[in-house]
Amino acid sequence: MAVVPTTRIYEGTRIPSPAPTILEVDPAKHNLEDILTINFGPNHPSTHGVLRLVVDLDGETIAGIRAVIGYLHTGIEKNMEAKTWWKSITYAPRIDYVSFQSNELVYVLAIEKLLGIEIPRRAVWARMALAELNRIHSHLIWLGTSALELGAISILWYTFDDRDEILDLSEMVGGVRMHTRYFQVGGLAEDVPTGFTDEARKFLPRMERSIDEYEAILDRNAIWLERTKGIGLLSAEDALALAQSGPMLRASGVNWDLRKIEPYLAYDEVDFDVPVYPNGDVYDRYKVHMDEMRQSVRIVRQCLDRIDETAGEPWVIDDRKVVLPPRHELHTSMESLIHHFKIVTEGYVVPEGEVYAVIESPRGENGCYLVSDGGPRPWRVKFRAPSFAALQATATTVQGCLIADLIAIAGSLDPVMGDADR
Amino acid sequence: MSYADVPGVVETREALGEMTLVVDPARLLDACLTLRDEHGFNVLSDITPTDYLGWGGSGVAGYIGTAGGRDLNSPGSQGLARSPEPKPKRFSVSYHLLRVSDEPARVRVQVWLDDGEPIASVLPAWPAADWFEREAWDMMGIPFEGHPNLVRILMPEDWEGHPLRKDYPLGGEPVRFSDEE
Amino acid sequence: MLWPDRGPGVFEEEIDNIEDALVLTTVEKAIAWAQSNSVWPDTFGLACCAMEMIAVVSSRYDISRFGMERFSSSPRQADLLIVSGRVTHKMAPPLRQVYDQMLEPKWVIAMGACASSGGMFNNYTILQGVDKIVPVDVHVPGCPPRPEALLEGVVRLHEKIRAGVPPAYEIRGVAE
Repeated sequence: MAVVPTTRIYEGTRIPSPAPTILEVDPAKHNLEDILTINFGPNHPSTHGVLRLVVDLDGETIAGIRAVIGYLHTGIEKNMEAKTWWKSITYAPRIDYVSFQSNELVYVLAIEKLLGIEIPRRAVWARMALAELNRIHSHLIWLGTSALELGAISILWYTFDDRDEILDLSEMVGGVRMHTRYFQVGGLAEDVPTGFTDEARKFLPRMERSIDEYEAILDRNAIWLERTKGIGLLSAEDALALAQSGPMLRASGVNWDLRKIEPYLAYDEVDFDVPVYPNGDVYDRYKVHMDEMRQSVRIVRQCLDRIDETAGEPWVIDDRKVVLPPRHELHTSMESLIHHFKIVTEGYVVPEGEVYAVIESPRGENGCYLVSDGGPRPWRVKFRAPSFAALQATATTVQGCLIADLIAIAGSLDPVMGDADR
Repeated sequence: MSYADVPGVVETREALGEMTLVVDPARLLDACLTLRDEHGFNVLSDITPTDYLGWGGSGVAGYIGTAGGRDLNSPGSQGLARSPEPKPKRFSVSYHLLRVSDEPARVRVQVWLDDGEPIASVLPAWPAADWFEREAWDMMGIPFEGHPNLVRILMPEDWEGHPLRKDYPLGGEPVRFSDEE
Repeated sequence: MLWPDRGPGVFEEEIDNIEDALVLTTVEKAIAWAQSNSVWPDTFGLACCAMEMIAVVSSRYDISRFGMERFSSSPRQADLLIVSGRVTHKMAPPLRQVYDQMLEPKWVIAMGACASSGGMFNNYTILQGVDKIVPVDVHVPGCPPRPEALLEGVVRLHEKIRAGVPPAYEIRGVAE
């Protein structure tokens, strides 16, 4: 199907001007004396983190809105410039802390692109499996918290049960549940442990049954439909103009998935479909998330088979200028000792250049712009955060909605404030 | 793909599979509108400012730091085995463009600026530039002309200084050790 | 018991010492028991630690067995502020405002490395430890701490309350 749809969700553009992210109260439609400005402060019941929305209300209708971010700006990019390449990878997963493998993956891919190295196949399949498990994890958290905010409170417990099982798998490979820092330049930090593929294969049918359950609860639920159908409309043209990506774009009818268009790792060697829905409302975004979870299960199944096939193969490249040599060699080989010393003290150096690497994170296009000066530390790291771009669409999507719909729309934009603020 | 008809292109670089068009700052908006309308780059993916102060600065080759120890707060104190090529000006702003269509493509438009030199806002071309430019202003102090709301976005409104510049210290607290009282 | 031959740790000994020193009356002990069994946390999830804080509500780790599943969004109805995540200088005034809105007695758990000390982010924008602006009762280390670690912190807070240890703002003599 064509990438950009021909049918239009609404005519023209709803992007406010002059500032696309500020919806001003229109004196023609609202009596300015009736406007009540309230503050969804940085600390609020909705579980999306520290997002502040200053909302102008006319009764229950939203007349104006302005998003204020920056309450979680951590200076990660500046911190990364002060650390060596190896140590800076620990900062990356804390950016988008819900889908923590995405930022790790894109950063490591960017460094590997600059270095010009190709990682072994076993590492590729393990990275893909973990990245897709992380996609399921991120969508589960999204579903749990969005449903919680719209009143389907029990879904939180169901999704977090599944999420715990995914984190068990993550703990098996990385040692910790979140922020494993398992991806390193050159491959993986350690080999995939035995038993991982068996445990993961036991988990996948349970996950499929869970997705069926969630859809059974929500898909045709009258309250869910009332609260999500026709809410938060965003046309394909507006979505592209506002640099949306990921589920926001696919729910507006644009057939765009970077795993298919610009395949990284080995996404061109696995079978999966890309869900695209035409209506551009909150319900379609929900459907995109559910279908993506199913497709991720499919991808993980294929990756697990390949991981088993590549058992015994190396999980990290052999280039001693980048990767530490195996410890047992340090007793016998002088070169290995020198390489180990250089890598541990100075760190490996990355050739001079600039690169922009992108992946399809659960939130959309996650990119890393990297500038290296040929030294042991990054010169400039910039993460193109999908949540940052998604929050720019707030003013466009809430037009004409009631205040209760604001919660549904803010949830469907799927912002993670660590990602938006970095 | 030929970008010969894009106005203001000073240099074309291709490296690592990416095409970079270096554009004269005075003609940035024309170039962007041409790229959007004639070449179909309908999505502005990212705007990244970079500060090259201290690029290729001095340092003992292969060792991080100076004789007195490592000072994370001083600019550009890195050990380099080979000095990189010097850059034309202090700041570069890279616009990453994307064409979402049946023939996808990516291109990077780059402008080079001095400290305080203003650059035209590309908001007329892509509304997505709004917050990206605000972030560039907040973090690096690059003034965008024509932006309707150029205020700080990530730092508090009354913050002074532009944190991601190389002459802005990393900040934080020195770590105290117990025998140092 | 996990380690039957292991004696009480440092924390348990200190709590016993405090209990002996403070000598609570029966009424005070009853009040402390009631308070510790119904500490309602405030939803102050900021970053990654918030994900593990929500996990502690889930059925596997179940904070409900301590009577704490009622996370209150309104600080007026909350007893415990679990600061989970990194606090920036921009977020510090709202944090203090939320703390001030809570009614006595109130406790604070600094969850994670970032809330305890700034964590790995020693830079211009992160508050190096929330105990600079709010008095903290329990620090829970980890990045992020496992839900079990947070529960350990919660259990230790309960033991402190039952032993009669006053909340941190009384100990430090800071304005509430």
